[in-house]
Amino acid sequence: MQAITDKQGVKRYLIHITVNGDQYSPVIKANTLLVNLLRDGLDLTGTKKGCELGDCGSCTVLMDGKPVDSCLVLALEADGCEIITIEGVARHGELDRLQRAFIDNAAIQCGYCTPGMILSAKALLAGNPHPTEPEVRAAISGNLCRCTGYVNIVKAVLEAAEVKP
Amino acid sequence: MSRPAPSDLKPGARPYRHPGLPEPADKDYAVIGKSKPKIDGREKVTGQARYTADLKFPNMLYGKILTSPHAHARILAIDTSEAEKIPGVKAVITHKDVPSLKYGISPARWDENIFCIDTVKFVGDKVAAVACLDEETCYRALRAIRVEYEVLPAVLDPLHAMDEDAPQIHPEYPRNLNTEIHQDFGDVDGALRKADYVRTDLFIGNRTYQAPLEPHTATSIWQEGKLTVYSSTQSPHYFQYYIAREFGLPMGDVRVIKTYVGGGFGGKLEPTGLEFAGAVLARLTGRPVKMFYDRAEMFAHNRGRHRQYMKLTTGVSAEGRILGVHADFIMDGGAYTSLGIATAYYAGAMLTLTYDFENYRFDMHRVYTNLPACGAQRGHGAPQPRYAFEAHLDNIAKDLGIDPLEIRLRNARKPNTVTPNAFAVNSCEMTACLEQARDLSGWADKKGRLPAGRGIGVATGSFVSGAGYPIYRTDLPHAAAMIKVAEDGTAATLYTGATDIGQGSDTILCQMAAEAMGYTYEQMKIVAADTETTPHDFGAYASRQTLMSGAAVKEAGEEVKKQLLEMAGEMLDLPPEGLDVRLGRIAAKDRPEITLTFEEAARAFFVKKGPLTGRGSYAPPKLGGTFKGAPVGTSPAYSFAAQVSEVQIDEETGEVTVLDVWDVHDCGQVINPALLHAQVHGALYMGMGESIWEEVRFDAQGRILNPTLGEYRIPTALDMPRVHSSIVKSYEPAGPWGVKEVGEGATLPTMGCFRNAIFDAMGVSVNSLPLTPEKVWAALREKRKADGEDIWDPMACECFVE
Amino acid sequence: MFLPDFDYHAPESLAEAIDLLARLGPSARVLAGGTDILVKMKNGLAAPAALVSLKNLHELRRIRWDADRGLVIGALATHNEICHSPVVQERFLSISEAAHKLANNQVRNRGTIGGNLVNAIPSADLPPILITLGASVTLAGADGSRTLPLEAFFTGVSCCALKPAGEILTEVAIPPQATTGSTYLKFGLRRSGALAVVGVAAAVTMEGDLVQDARICLGAVYRTPTRAVQAEKVLIGQRWTDDLLEQAGRTAVGCCLPISDIRGSAEYRRDLVRIYTRRALRRAITQGHG
Repeated sequence: MQAITDKQGVKRYLIHITVNGDQYSPVIKANTLLVNLLRDGLDLTGTKKGCELGDCGSCTVLMDGKPVDSCLVLALEADGCEIITIEGVARHGELDRLQRAFIDNAAIQCGYCTPGMILSAKALLAGNPHPTEPEVRAAISGNLCRCTGYVNIVKAVLEAAEVKP
Repeated sequence: MSRPAPSDLKPGARPYRHPGLPEPADKDYAVIGKSKPKIDGREKVTGQARYTADLKFPNMLYGKILTSPHAHARILAIDTSEAEKIPGVKAVITHKDVPSLKYGISPARWDENIFCIDTVKFVGDKVAAVACLDEETCYRALRAIRVEYEVLPAVLDPLHAMDEDAPQIHPEYPRNLNTEIHQDFGDVDGALRKADYVRTDLFIGNRTYQAPLEPHTATSIWQEGKLTVYSSTQSPHYFQYYIAREFGLPMGDVRVIKTYVGGGFGGKLEPTGLEFAGAVLARLTGRPVKMFYDRAEMFAHNRGRHRQYMKLTTGVSAEGRILGVHADFIMDGGAYTSLGIATAYYAGAMLTLTYDFENYRFDMHRVYTNLPACGAQRGHGAPQPRYAFEAHLDNIAKDLGIDPLEIRLRNARKPNTVTPNAFAVNSCEMTACLEQARDLSGWADKKGRLPAGRGIGVATGSFVSGAGYPIYRTDLPHAAAMIKVAEDGTAATLYTGATDIGQGSDTILCQMAAEAMGYTYEQMKIVAADTETTPHDFGAYASRQTLMSGAAVKEAGEEVKKQLLEMAGEMLDLPPEGLDVRLGRIAAKDRPEITLTFEEAARAFFVKKGPLTGRGSYAPPKLGGTFKGAPVGTSPAYSFAAQVSEVQIDEETGEVTVLDVWDVHDCGQVINPALLHAQVHGALYMGMGESIWEEVRFDAQGRILNPTLGEYRIPTALDMPRVHSSIVKSYEPAGPWGVKEVGEGATLPTMGCFRNAIFDAMGVSVNSLPLTPEKVWAALREKRKADGEDIWDPMACECFVE
Repeated sequence: MFLPDFDYHAPESLAEAIDLLARLGPSARVLAGGTDILVKMKNGLAAPAALVSLKNLHELRRIRWDADRGLVIGALATHNEICHSPVVQERFLSISEAAHKLANNQVRNRGTIGGNLVNAIPSADLPPILITLGASVTLAGADGSRTLPLEAFFTGVSCCALKPAGEILTEVAIPPQATTGSTYLKFGLRRSGALAVVGVAAAVTMEGDLVQDARICLGAVYRTPTRAVQAEKVLIGQRWTDDLLEQAGRTAVGCCLPISDIRGSAEYRRDLVRIYTRRALRRAITQGHG
């Protein structure tokens, strides 16, 4: 990995990262977290910060297809990885069936957990296209929501699972 | 436009009838009553929705606040010189740099300063702030500020705050007494004397926190002596009012803009240090400053639910009719008042709603402690007293051998009655709610017939549909709205100060506007909650917006419709009274073949007369009695709810699994059924979290032990039961189209409902919240011991390790 | 929150990693999944001068069955990889289940078995089940590698047998064995994202109703995950009954010293040890390895 050192002796590294299919080569400090690279560096603010400790799931992104808390991933550790954020879920302005189902089932209130929730659900359906309700609940149990009681979110994911892609 | 006041309103006067509009026979609505998709749904599912922390401005700085590590200490010296030397630090401020005018959300008691001057009063109290080039530098700068403290003895136990020798937190408020309430209605002593049965119980609540997913954030910008604040707020108006007051500015020079808000639940109702310190830092540096709290700082800022100590004495007849109630409470207010004086009054005021009794006494002491200040959380002061009363009533029912649902039916409030504390109740389907909850849950088949470890419980709740009086005294209407129809009539924009923090007010107000105009929801746009571009509204609290903001929107829509039909009348050469418009189609009432589109008439209007606009406003009638504190709890209308829950208890570990909850609500005419039930789900969820899991805890130094979402456990998707939300037919004459509240009402019954279900399952009463497995376990062991069972003592076994 | 500055290294081989750690000394820390160390750093509980990332050491991610050594799990296998691994599910479903009980889904996608063990917190979910199944760990250092029983690996709260400079936990091996059943039960205060208040693992070797061998390990109730040897003795050589399991549960309480904290009192934890030991044994006896 290429690195440069500034006058204060702080090192900066050049990484290559694919986000939503777009390739970026940002220069970052070692302590840059993936969530901060996405939000501040790439202006992808759909990824939210809720607790910064891996407790709430608001910052969930897909890293090589798996949901992770981007507040607990060094941007350096994502060097060479493919990241999907909420901005990459709709294609060419066409909503994903999960996004559609969230709207249709009133599964959104304040919307702050929604990006992470949709990405967790997306990862679930990618590996398990016809999940049971307990499987849906387990898949989103790392994503806290303070508004909905999860009732309509679970309904939305189950509905999206039944819709043919 | 003020509605007429109910006449001859005296405590206990009954029956009376609200002079509002009668229920229409034909409720064939075109837009309301339908589950329209949320107007902001697409932005929220695609990540396009920008919350305050997502905004960037050219040249923007980041700011943070330094807080106290001590619960109570005197500030001897603050040295900011080292912090100022750090590259990237642009400003460091302390109390010397900011106005010393005390503030607070409630004018009843302004007791906060932007930064502490002499003493810090809780761990987390604000001491200084920095503005820096980036977030990282902020943290480094905060660590470099040296504050010398003299640590003082602290008050951490609210039950000893009023002791003679307790340390004084605010010198001007002796014995740490923040609020003292003594209200007496009817003849409680006489009622208790006459009662066939009198019982006293003591319950203790828990200190909980709203824990919205989005942390508080505010970005302040000065331009030409005028301040703009983007904030994660529930009320741009109160922010504007208090920020202007603090800095001595005319309100017109302060603009507050709500962005998308990631939940509030009461915690974002009042300005914080982020707005005040951010404004000062922005003025000093001449640059936009973004201030934010991290999760632990949110817990320290708090303004969550008060812990209450609740003693209830009730006298009943042999048949279980409630004759008189005495509520005697103490509440831990924390270090400042916040909205707590209102909370203290709410705690007692809302107890009179769901059951009909005439004699009521309420005593309350809200005390200061050296803990984070408490404020208004969903349901305001009411949920814990409701838990206590519902548990107390189940104890009474059991003592008298009456079914818990039956005792509630016998006491259920009826419509068109007045409570002992002078609240006029118009619509009230308490009985129907209880009956429907009974039938849906299969109560008759389950009560007393469930297998071991399983129980069923019932509880009720009621809440205001908007507060009868604003937080500070003013003659402003409570809500106002404007509608501007686009020049060609193909769209219309609603301008409202109402504040959507996730509950969906933007959506339902657009539905209401479209209904009133005869337009379609899909053509509506909204501009909301910006003090410069939208008309005044007090914001999102006290479940007020559907009724109050909705009334203003309805009036604005009707004004548009009136002008549109006049124009159409001119165009069709027909009297406007003979025309109607629905879903954008204008037709003659008696000759449906004569039509015109909304667009055609609206365009013609613009060409001939200029912009087609409508205006509306709403002020409630004068409500309530004349005694001290009478305004708190008044409302044009009250929602009612009954909940039944079924739980499974692990008889050994005490673990509580909630299996099903049935919530039946009387919330008047429904505007958007999908969003309404979603509000019930969310309110129930919060109540459930507070019932079993949630509690903010402190160590012996007053530091929060669990300021994280890992240790302050709000329920996950795996913890939620099956939720069955339903409504009863209801019409509220004081609300537009007959609406009333739903967003907070469903939080109220939940805690008592679970307690009663556990009581039913195991015969044990857990008299403090939350109803943790360990408390249930302990109660079960006590009961088994009392029943003479031989209990194995886990502390007395042979030990093999050291 | 923010992370203090640190140097970052991502060695390409295990040898290079060991060399780096030896050179950097105790102020360097290993970075595997990051779900513990980054939290500690944000909370100011750790401030390593350097992080040595193991992300390029792909060989440490493998999970495989080896006829001699049994189930061999690379230290960098994530909790979800263990949870979903067909070979783990086939051999020891109980390990898969224990991995699933840990933290939440996102953390399980990053957190590793090596990190879980090296952190050595008393409430960790994997150690009890691994100890009852006789797992050993391989530690690689400048002087070569050594293997020791996992039971001997934990030396105190957040302390383990890793040498301070330069040793890396590379593998966990669960040997082929005669056990007929095993299970891990966790009592947490929420169904996801909660630490164990009490965790109990049990492994048994049954012949009909006869308990030939039994191992019990307790989590969150002692400074390390700890065997309940006296409770095992209650069982071995006996025909199992509910009363016998209750007796074992009561004896297990004597094998721990739980503390009182925000998640539960010592008294409650002790009673939970009794209840969960009995339930874990019953499940291991009646349901095999999961």
